[in-house]
Amino acid sequence: MVPRFFKGIHWPIVFLMLALAALGIIEIYSATFQDGSSFASKQFFWFLAGLVIFFLTIGIGYRTFLNFSYLIYGFTVILLFWVLFFAKARSGAHSWLALGPFQIQPSEFSKIATTLMLAHFLADRSAFFAQKRTLMTVMFLMAFPCLLVLKQPDLGTALVFIPMFLGMIFLWGVRFRYLFVLFSLALASAPFLWHVLKPYQQKRILVFMNPSIDPIGASYTAIQSKIAVGSGGLFGKGWLHGTQTQLDFVPEHHTDFIFSVFAEEFGFLGTLLLLLLFSVLIGYAFQIMKHTTDLKARLLVAGVIAAFAFQAFVNIGMTIGIAPITGVTLPFMSYGGSSLVASFFAFGLLVSIYKERSIF
Amino acid sequence: MKTAIRVQVLQFLIAASFAALSLGLFQTQIIKGGYFRRSSEQNRIRLIRLEAPRGNIFDRNGVLLATSRPAYNVYAIPEDFNPKDIPTIGHILELPETEIRKRLSQARTASFTPILLKQDISKEISMQIEERRPGLSGIFIQIGMIRTYPFKEVGAHTIGYIGKISKEEYQTLDPSIYRFDAWIGRSGIERVFDSRLRGEDGGRQLEVDARGVPISLLSEKEPELGGDVHLSLDSKLEDRIKPLLSHRRSVVLVMDLKTGELLAAVSTPGFDPNIFVTPSQNAERLSVIGSKDHPLLDRGLNGLYPPGSVFKLVTAIAALEAGLITPHTTFECPGYFRLSPRSRRFKCWFSEGHGRVDLYTALERSCNVYFYNTGRLLGEKKLSEYARKLGFGASPVFELPAASGLVPSADWKKERYHDNWYQGETVTFAIGQSYLLVSPFQILRLVAAIATNGQMFQPKLIKSSDGNLETEKNKQKIEIREETFRTLRQGMLQAVSSDRGTGQLARVNFAKLAGKSGTAQAPPGDAHAWFSGFFPYEDPKFAFVVFVERGKSGGITAAQIAKRIVYFCKDIYGSAVL
Repeated sequence: MVPRFFKGIHWPIVFLMLALAALGIIEIYSATFQDGSSFASKQFFWFLAGLVIFFLTIGIGYRTFLNFSYLIYGFTVILLFWVLFFAKARSGAHSWLALGPFQIQPSEFSKIATTLMLAHFLADRSAFFAQKRTLMTVMFLMAFPCLLVLKQPDLGTALVFIPMFLGMIFLWGVRFRYLFVLFSLALASAPFLWHVLKPYQQKRILVFMNPSIDPIGASYTAIQSKIAVGSGGLFGKGWLHGTQTQLDFVPEHHTDFIFSVFAEEFGFLGTLLLLLLFSVLIGYAFQIMKHTTDLKARLLVAGVIAAFAFQAFVNIGMTIGIAPITGVTLPFMSYGGSSLVASFFAFGLLVSIYKERSIF
Repeated sequence: MKTAIRVQVLQFLIAASFAALSLGLFQTQIIKGGYFRRSSEQNRIRLIRLEAPRGNIFDRNGVLLATSRPAYNVYAIPEDFNPKDIPTIGHILELPETEIRKRLSQARTASFTPILLKQDISKEISMQIEERRPGLSGIFIQIGMIRTYPFKEVGAHTIGYIGKISKEEYQTLDPSIYRFDAWIGRSGIERVFDSRLRGEDGGRQLEVDARGVPISLLSEKEPELGGDVHLSLDSKLEDRIKPLLSHRRSVVLVMDLKTGELLAAVSTPGFDPNIFVTPSQNAERLSVIGSKDHPLLDRGLNGLYPPGSVFKLVTAIAALEAGLITPHTTFECPGYFRLSPRSRRFKCWFSEGHGRVDLYTALERSCNVYFYNTGRLLGEKKLSEYARKLGFGASPVFELPAASGLVPSADWKKERYHDNWYQGETVTFAIGQSYLLVSPFQILRLVAAIATNGQMFQPKLIKSSDGNLETEKNKQKIEIREETFRTLRQGMLQAVSSDRGTGQLARVNFAKLAGKSGTAQAPPGDAHAWFSGFFPYEDPKFAFVVFVERGKSGGITAAQIAKRIVYFCKDIYGSAVL
């Protein structure tokens, strides 16, 4: 029984995930050990929880999740409503749900729930018939949780919904003229969306374009994280020796800016290795996509890949100034139980797809 | 387009963005690596926050009630500071060395963040430090802002005060607006209008040399001033009212009936809001917080008391509206009242009895027996229905939070005490006793409604010109017949002008004043004194309420104060108004 369960598992993916999560814990420790906080051990606990979820997901199988995707989607939307209206704010954001001693971020799970929902919905509808109507429905299904997350406010997580959505409809076979219409619509609604953003979010985007706007806030963060990454040089300053981090120049270094800690301590060689790990992981995901004949599974993989790659790109990009600071987390590495468990869950679905592929 | 090609496009996009990342990392870490390494080794960028001055609060005549004054604050940047200098600094600032060490060590993990050593030092000391500054590395003086309330107690309850943000608040509020050491409005206007009053902090990025001395300004953002608030209060009037209330726990509210603006909102004992922002007045602050007189309580809005005979106005309105009595309905007052021949006696305050009285006379002389009778006719249900209609038992719409009070009913009593409602409670309810609790502000609204035929403006504290236009929308219409209000006004006029009226001590010789006194029993201790009225009678311009906790008699204590206030209004606003 046990050997059979483990037989079809894609072990290289498991190894890559473990490597990334381990690097994350190591760097969380480095970023926080000085103030005596227990973030690293908490993250380790979440890591274990994530592994359990991962194997559980494989055991249950992705088809079951797809079959229940409407229910899962509805449930996460209710949770999003709940945190928005009933949960106590933390740092001015209504993002967390208190579950006993744990704090859960439903937004992380709503991302995957929406991916499941869209995969299920799109695969059931032909791309060659009544595409406009299908697209409208799908857009609504994506925008609803996305706006709820944006309202928390959590711009970073809300943004991830968009590449996920685009990746999925693209693979499904969206017509180019509709894609074009979508982009024009997005451009046209930009001024409106601008006002939906909180002032500090607007500031971050303005700072991205002109770093001298907010010398003590966002642009300070941008400069300091760039110094941190750059000062790592080729080999880095060594573990626990990143001065930028240890002296607290970079804020939120164990969550959003974990990459700058890593880059400072392990240098360009380290960051290249990390990029390689991420790329290989994405490469394997594409392999899984190609090997399955199940359209739902393919769309699901597309959504996961798009969200995953987007998060990695924006998170790493913001530390070196090629993306705005939006609060997107680095998958598997940033501190945060919900983000970690959700990533394990997503890849559990992928590995389950790999395991249950039909072999002729 | 075939799916396989689409997959390739997706793959290409991701590969390209990762390639861009590698290039970006190569550029940052390898090409500019040396430069960034140097700037990290000697992180020479210091952040100096420039606090935004809080907006001002003015009274209706533009008198400054709350503003910010500059103060010299001494800061140290721990990383640049040489511990050898601790004795010198301690000597100049008159701070114990251990205290300085403690503050510096608090910032162990953020040693480039300036630490406040001492706030609000004198100009002389700041000069001393500036002179020695070349020798004192990492020490600098920055001008900060300290909130100040020039008139001290005047308007203090309305203005409120500010305080340092607490740890819990910091965790729940938006950190980009509220820093860990931010000031935040704690009560009154300072609290409700906090977001308007607080500006936006600015800051400087400075490049410093190895000793921490600034050598260049990298970038700067000016702080944005907070917005001002113009109150409707008249500090001149409040200033004159205050001495009348010395050492008493009392309330005076004066309202301009033509606009709904409150001209005075005095609650005593008061407090000086400066004690919450001046570090040297810590002892006073603690004594105010701990005082048994609760000086921080705004009794006008949030003090709850039995209204006593003032409530007879409500009973009269209810009975007239319900058609149970007319102004000419009479009852016999033998000095007491009985529900049935064998029940207990409910006393009238005038034990000899008022004889046969109609409604006007009953209001004039505040005859309890008349209202016991009307109360019995009305019943508890109708009475509480009208009390609610006239704004009791609910939080009023107002700029500041105000208490709702309590209007009892049989259902309420069942739930609260698991007991039935007795008819004896109905008759005491009718004269403003039993479980009834009201705030002076609610009484003011009642009298304002009577004075304006129920067409009153919503009371407000923010001046009309300050984005608070007096439109018909701000009027609150109460569905009660004009005739009823006219009767009530007539009764209130008689209470003051008649030689047997209970409010005759408030009479003034230059205008017709109408009012109603109240002496509310609140055992143990003396009764509370109420007097509320409006003037001039024909075209009412002002409404007021005077309340003295344990003032013994409304007709004496409160009415005398009311009279003085009417004189003040005449002095300040001129007889042209009256």
